Parts: sequence; structure tokens; C-alpha cells
Amino acid sequence: MIQTLINRTGGIHAKDFRVVMCDIVGHEVVYLPSQLIVDFNKCTGCRICELACSAKHEGKFQPSLARLKIVRYDDLGLDIPNVCGPCETAPCVDICPVFAMRRDPITKMTFLDEDKCILCKSCVGACVNGVILLDTVKMRIIKCDHCGGDPECARVCPTGAITYGPDSSSATVDKHGKIMSYLKEIERTDKVYSTGAE
Amino acid sequence: MAGGYTGKILRANLTDEKFKIEPLPKEWIKPYIGGDGFGAKLLFTELAAGTDPLGEQNKLIIGTGPITGTMWPMSGRTVLISKAPLTGIWGESHVGGFLGAELKYAGYDMLVIEGKSEKPVYIDIHDSDLALRDAKSKWGLTTDKVTTAIKKDKHDPDVQIAAIGPAGEKQVRFASVMVNLARAAGRTGMGAVLGSKNVKAVAVRGHGAVEVHDLDGFLEFANAAHMRVRNNPIAQGMSKAGTWGLVAVKQEIGEFPTYNHQTGVFEGWEKLSADYIRPRFTIGDRACFGCSLGCKKVNYVKEGPFAGTLEEGPEYEGLMAFGSLIGIDDYATTLKGNQICNRYGLDIISAGSTIAFAIEAFVKGAINEEDTGGLKLEWGNREQVIKLLEMIGKREGFGAILAEGSKRAAEKLGKGTEKFAIHVKGMEVSGQDGRTHRSIALGHATGARGADHLRSLVVVDQLGYEDVAAKRWGADKLPEIIDPYTEKYKANAVFESENAYCIRDTLIVCWYTVSWPPIFWMDDFTTILPLATGEKHFSKVENLVEIAERQVTLKRLFNAREGITKKDDILPDRFVKDPMPDGPGKGQVVDLEPMLRDYYSLRGWDLETGLPTEETLKRLSLEWTKSHS
Repeated sequence: MIQTLINRTGGIHAKDFRVVMCDIVGHEVVYLPSQLIVDFNKCTGCRICELACSAKHEGKFQPSLARLKIVRYDDLGLDIPNVCGPCETAPCVDICPVFAMRRDPITKMTFLDEDKCILCKSCVGACVNGVILLDTVKMRIIKCDHCGGDPECARVCPTGAITYGPDSSSATVDKHGKIMSYLKEIERTDKVYSTGAE
Repeated sequence: MAGGYTGKILRANLTDEKFKIEPLPKEWIKPYIGGDGFGAKLLFTELAAGTDPLGEQNKLIIGTGPITGTMWPMSGRTVLISKAPLTGIWGESHVGGFLGAELKYAGYDMLVIEGKSEKPVYIDIHDSDLALRDAKSKWGLTTDKVTTAIKKDKHDPDVQIAAIGPAGEKQVRFASVMVNLARAAGRTGMGAVLGSKNVKAVAVRGHGAVEVHDLDGFLEFANAAHMRVRNNPIAQGMSKAGTWGLVAVKQEIGEFPTYNHQTGVFEGWEKLSADYIRPRFTIGDRACFGCSLGCKKVNYVKEGPFAGTLEEGPEYEGLMAFGSLIGIDDYATTLKGNQICNRYGLDIISAGSTIAFAIEAFVKGAINEEDTGGLKLEWGNREQVIKLLEMIGKREGFGAILAEGSKRAAEKLGKGTEKFAIHVKGMEVSGQDGRTHRSIALGHATGARGADHLRSLVVVDQLGYEDVAAKRWGADKLPEIIDPYTEKYKANAVFESENAYCIRDTLIVCWYTVSWPPIFWMDDFTTILPLATGEKHFSKVENLVEIAERQVTLKRLFNAREGITKKDDILPDRFVKDPMPDGPGKGQVVDLEPMLRDYYSLRGWDLETGLPTEETLKRLSLEWTKSHS
């Protein structure tokens, strides 16, 4: 048996590639441990991911119940996708009193075991990305489950701002480059010309 | 209720300070679909003929369609409908951004604003919590400030806000309503309607859902549609440069309006082209709701007199209105002008066109410094344009005259300035020229809201897509139908395109999915509409065509009630009498009459009066309109 390790990067052509690889006889496709990766530079703020997420999990188009959230700053022209990605520390895991929240040691992704959950809402408050929600209609915690390994948000993202793959090689600072350079430039011009730019 | 709709109409009565929620009449869905269609039906029924657009009796509708707020590409658009202050006839303006989707998530298909408030208010819709809130502290603020202030008041950055600026408050005839700071419901002066009602803003936040009839089928088709957008080469070009790419194309075909539409070629076009702007100014790409194209560009000026300007846009029309139309070959000026328009809430096309009118009248000696209050108007003066825009926004000095739009300004100034006002039915002509693109001449002349490039612009003949034309209209009409310099068959092209755009405006989806050449057309609408609504009636092209025809004729009847007939379906003398002076279309003029006659007979309107005939009313089941005259 030949094994091929592939990245599950999502995006346009990834799925086709996987299908082709699986068709080869005597051949096994092994996915590398993956995490949701966000590139702030690429997000256009279209919120297709929110729509796709709610459609897949709730069966209707309801962004307020999506497992991720795009925050748009119209005055700066910036869009920040907040996903349940690999946090440096995982406050939701630390705070959970019944150990319902679990963290994968390699990918650093977190998972919720709904059977153990007692709806104490601690994780809702602790989440730094604000993507763990309490559904007050059905009384349950809404938390990204990464669609069991094929996240809908990464599949539909038109610009590749959200991808699903092994720990990315680019440093976090690169992914935030747009915002950093942007804020610096505004500050510089404001100093030089004192234009009152916001 | 059929899928896709929320089934509720929200009415905000400002006079009584009361809200009312009505069920959406089920019998409207089949003949009108939504969006523009519902708006036309409601406005025609409820507005008496001769209503003052800026009076208490006028109503403003914020409408959505059955697929607004779903996964279908670019379905986040909203329409604002009212009787237009600029033209006194049918007025509508579509806007991108996130407002429409949020309104549906809040649970309403339409918001109807009626009456007039005594003091400044803003309408606050938070799901079923409805309130008119005091906006005294916000009156006089620019649109960006008021949007930020309301978000701060509500402690919620996700509130979607449609706001007017000082121009709307002062009832500038072409005031816009701004959504998400840089998306404008610009044309026909919807901002002035809100201003006349003392409404500073509409704030919407919704947590509900939009459910479609067949989710699996809908998602499959919508996802495939997204892929078609992503893989379309022209759409890919647009996601790089938005509509800026048009500048080079228009220059090449001699249709880039320059010096107040005097000519169609501009010597400084290169500095307004996409290849020049993008590497120098663009710092980010943005998109409206549910759009995989992302044509909005965030731009920043690093140096020069306008250093520090950070703004989205402008589109092609902005490059035209503050660039070539006034003889300015500087992108930074157009960006600054765009920013002022966004903040004060002004329509870019009308503002630029009115300024160009004043400049030409001054340069040709019709008016002098006494009329302008000491201003020496000239072509290509960058600071002057910015100053004039601010004066219009504040209605100061000469700006108060220009704030009335070019038609009324010409009437006020007199002295033969009428011939410099390039408008149809009072609305300024957009960035096209009928002399080098004959079908748009017909579109401008017959558009329900005046000189309009978004209701019937045929791009197939403009850019010469032979295969698309053959498929759509039959190979027997080639080559005339794609020849931009002949009137033959142009009415067929305009008729067919206008019908498709009508369906687009009822869904409501973005114009860019049905343009250069279209990614989606009627066949796609006949697939997605039944999937979304469950209404089998929408699955046949001929049914959709009938709905579109009904809508166009209903808008015509609305205008006819205000006295519009064939005599108003005209073009400015510039396009009909002055031959194009330079460029590839040198010597061309428009011969409107044969095109008009063809168009009227296709629409079933009387050839002499331009009004719908009895048979047409019967065929489109519009006989009920007779009892609303």
C-alpha cells in the first residue's frame, strides 16, 4: 500500500484532487492534521462563509447562528474574519468545568462534546474570537466543529482567506501584514500632512 | 408563504409615530416577484397623481427580493423607491452593501416610510423591537459620522445603517442615501425624500433566517453559480480593478464622455485607467453581501493636495463625473470628490454633470462671475471641483443653484444655458454616449427614471460580442445588431435586455452578474426562482418576460399619470444635433425616432403618444391601474 500525505487546503480545486488520488488502486490518501487558517489580507468581507455555515448546520440562511463571524470596519476598509481557529491558548478549554471542551495537541483546534455540556455558557464569555454562541431558542452551545474535517467556509471562500490545512508556514505577522502596514501608513501621512485622516 | 420571503411588510408612519406590520399579499408574488415589482405595485396604488416628492404624502420604500439574503451570488442588494425629487416621476435607486439582507433577517420584505416627522429621528429596527429615536444630536453630521454614532449608541458594530448627509437634510435634489459608508443609493434623490421627512437614518439589525423552498437544490445551483463567477475571465478582471477597466475600453470606442459630453475621447484618459490607478492607490479589496467577485476597492492617496484621503471607490461613473467630464486627469481628485459626495450624501453622476454644465456655461460665456458669486469656473481645476461639491452639499452661494440639478439650474439661470444641461426628464446623463453606442441612446430616452444606464444598457453591441448576439437575437439580425452606429434592431436589443434587467431588479441581484457579457441570464433566473420560492410559474422564460413587461409598463403608467408622454422621450440636442467631433465615432449623431417607434411597438405602446394601449393593459392584466388615476 502506497500512502500519499496531502494537505487538505480547501479552496477551489482541492476536492477534485482528492477524488483523483483516491481512485488510484492500492493507494491510500492520508490527510495531515489540519487547522483553520485565516489570512486577513485576502478577506473581502462578503460573508459567504457565514451563509454557507448556517445553511449547512441550520438548514437556512441565518448568519447570526453561523459558527464564524466577519467583522467589517467600514471606516478603515478592513474586514476581519473570526473563526474557531488555532488559538495560542484555549480559554474555552481551560474554563470548562466539566471537561466538555477538548483541544487537539497537534493542530490546536478545539472540539465540544455536546453530551457533556451543561450549558453554563462559560466558554461563550471566554472565547476571544467571539465565535462560541448560545442558541437561546434551542438551548444549546453553538460551536464550530470544523465540519468533521471538510469545513464549508474554506470550501466556499472565494478569495482563499479561509483555508483548512496543516499548520501554515507563513507567520501570523504576514497574515496581518495588510492591517499593520495600513495603520502605519495612515499614521505617517497624518503626521506629515496633518490631514485628519482617521 | 412561498420560500424566500419573510411575508411581512413593515410600515413606519412618522406623522403618528407608529409602526404597523402587514402581511405581504400572496397575490403579489406571481405577477411581481419582489423588489422593484412590489415597489411599483405599492407606489402606484398608494400615491395619488401629482404628489409633491418632498411633501408629507410621498412614501419611501426600502425593498428586497425573494433571494436577498441567500447564497445566490451578489444577492445583497436593496432598492429604494419613491417619487423622485430630481425628476418628479418614478424614482428608484439600487444599492449594494448589507442593508437588504439584514432587513430580511430582521423579518421584513419591505419597509415603507410614510408621513413626516416633526423633529429629526432615526428609525431603529432590531428584529421585532421597533422605535423612532431622536436624532437631534446627529442632525447635520456627515454620513460616516452618523453611522459611527448610531453603532456606538446601540453598542453593536453589526447594525446596518442607511444614512443621509447634510445634502439630504438640505434637500439637494440629487441627494443620496449612503449604506455601509461607501455604497450609495445615489440616483433620483432618495436622500432628499428622507431629509424632507426628517429621517436621518434607518438602522437595521436582524437575527432571523431566510428559508428557501428547496435548500439542497438551491445550494447546489448557487455554489455552481459562485464557481461560474469565480472562473469568468471578465469577473476576474473586475475583482482586480472594479469598473475602472471600462475607461480604456470606452476611450477606445470613443464613448468616454468628456467636457460635459462634448466629445467621447479624453486626452488624459491614461491617468484614469485601471492599470495606472491600481498599483498606485489601491490598498484593499472589498465585497458586498454574498459576492464572490468583490469589485469594491479601498484606495488611499499618499501625496499631493489630497494626501490622506482614504475611501472606497469611485466606480467608472465617478472617474467620468469628476474626471473626464470636467477635464481632470487626476485620480486623487476623483477619489476626493467621491469622498465628499459619500460624506455629504450626493449622487456622483448628477453632481459631476451639474458642475460640468456650469463650467461649460461659464466658459462659453452664457453666465459670468455675477451668476456664480465670483467664482471663475474653468475646465480641469481640481480644487474648484472639490469646493463646488462642498458648496452644493451645504447649499451655499452658487451651490444652492446647482443643488437643484442641471435642468432646474438652467431654468433659473436662463440666458440660453438650457443647451448645456445634459439631462433626460431632469436626470443627468450617465457616462455613456448615444452617438457611439446607439442602443444606450434609446435606453436613455425611454428609461423610467430618466437618463438611465442601469435599466437597459446593452453591452453586446457596445463591445461587439457576436456569438452572444447571434444566440440571443438570431443570426439573421447580424451584423446590424452589434453595429453601434446603426439604429436598426436596436429596439429589439434594448427590449430584451430591459426585460432581463427587470427580473434582476426583482430578485434582487447585482448588475455585474448580468453584464459584460452576462454570467447569468433568464435561463438561470428560471432555475433559481422556483428553487427559492417553490413557485412553478417562474420556471418558464416567457412567464418571466411577461412579468418584466408588466413592470416596465406599470412604471410607464406611473410616469404617464405625471404627464410623461412621447414628447418627453427625447435626448439632449447634443446627442441628436451635434455630430461627435473626434474619435472613432467622428461625425455620428443619433436618429431617435425610428428606434422609438420600434421600441413602442415591441412594448405595445401607442406609436404617437407613447402610452400603453388598451390591449397591452389587458394582456398584462394591468386594467386595475385605471381606477387609480
